[in-house]
Amino acid sequence: MQRLLRRARERFSTAARRGLLVAFEGPDGSGKTTQRKLFKTWLEAEGYSVVTTKWNGSELIKPIIKTRKSIHALSPEEFSLLHSADFRHRVEQDVLPALWDGKVVIADRFLFTGLARDVARGLDLDWVLKLYQPLLWPDLVFYFAVSPATSSRRISATRVPRFYEAGQDITDLDDPVESYKRFVARVIREYESLALIFNFITVDAEQSIGEQHRKIRQLFREGERRPWSDWNADAVAEWLALAGRRS
Amino acid sequence: MRSAPALIAVEGVNAAALLASAREALAGVDRRRRSGVSHWDASGIFGDLAAAEDSAGRPSPRTILLLYAADLAFRIRWEIRPLLDDGKSVVAAPYVATAIAFGRAAGISPRWLEDLFTFAPAPAESRLAESTARVGRGRRGFVEFSCELMSGSLNGISRGELVETTAAYLRTALGRRARIVNA
Repeated sequence: MQRLLRRARERFSTAARRGLLVAFEGPDGSGKTTQRKLFKTWLEAEGYSVVTTKWNGSELIKPIIKTRKSIHALSPEEFSLLHSADFRHRVEQDVLPALWDGKVVIADRFLFTGLARDVARGLDLDWVLKLYQPLLWPDLVFYFAVSPATSSRRISATRVPRFYEAGQDITDLDDPVESYKRFVARVIREYESLALIFNFITVDAEQSIGEQHRKIRQLFREGERRPWSDWNADAVAEWLALAGRRS
Repeated sequence: MRSAPALIAVEGVNAAALLASAREALAGVDRRRRSGVSHWDASGIFGDLAAAEDSAGRPSPRTILLLYAADLAFRIRWEIRPLLDDGKSVVAAPYVATAIAFGRAAGISPRWLEDLFTFAPAPAESRLAESTARVGRGRRGFVEFSCELMSGSLNGISRGELVETTAAYLRTALGRRARIVNA
């Protein structure tokens, strides 16, 4: 393991060789997906090689979660554990290989989504955080801050929130819109705590799309060469150990 | 003969031995308290995993353990707690120690493994289902299934080595306090 840790540090402590991990976080309706797409287009125009990873997007685990969500069969613990499994699989299959190859990885939601939602469902933050260990820390986390009222208005304008998205598993409310309003207020409260603890870059998501995009470009330029977090060494070493990768 | 309602964990790497030991454990419970056995993959998560396309990628030991924990949370919610609440004794085969032993064999830190399963109630009794028979190659139990998936990965460790290391960790963890049953 010491040998693998050394290899991980050698690769990632050299700014020119390592990739960059940028996470877009925020509640539903905060406009982060729009910004993520604009950001990706801009990065590619600037000559970066870009990979996108989406929450609950692993080819292996997503179908397992989808089936159980459709029949409303998940308890908060099961919901949390399955999403952390999905996350781990994407980290190993998509995120770390791309970072190792020097690419920019844009994460449309990262582990903080799990933390905010699971704690809003009543789970213990410490337990949930451990599910995501060994931690892989993004170089930048953009947090798209909106009020619960704005999030609810934007979501309700386009569709009826789905059962778990609306938090109906814990609010016991039959009306998905009312349940969403209550649940998203809890999620935003957790996000705001996480933003302070983990030093997110907060973007005012009530601003115009163009204004937000300009700010993201500027913040990316200022922050892209931050030193690599050594906390990531364990995650990289464990990945290297799987099938003797990158030998 | 056990007369108070209790959770009995039967641990082991061989599915056939687990089943035989679980039946034996259940037979030792007072008839009025006797209920059933909670088996691995009651939630069907691993059945779905086995049906996935190869292109979806192979899960790592840590991913497998998160899925095992999700399955166990399901078993506790729908099988184990309701029976205990109803005054019955229930056998869980396998339970937490088997998963922890698999994780140790795969090189995962014991601290992370212990933390993962803090939601699971402690069993009143643990049994170790030892088997003199070779572990089958079929995907019949958690350890068999998981070691088959891991074969060739983890720096080239073979399926058989992983099974043996899991069994060794399990014997170390439970050996002194568990009732050992040869099936």
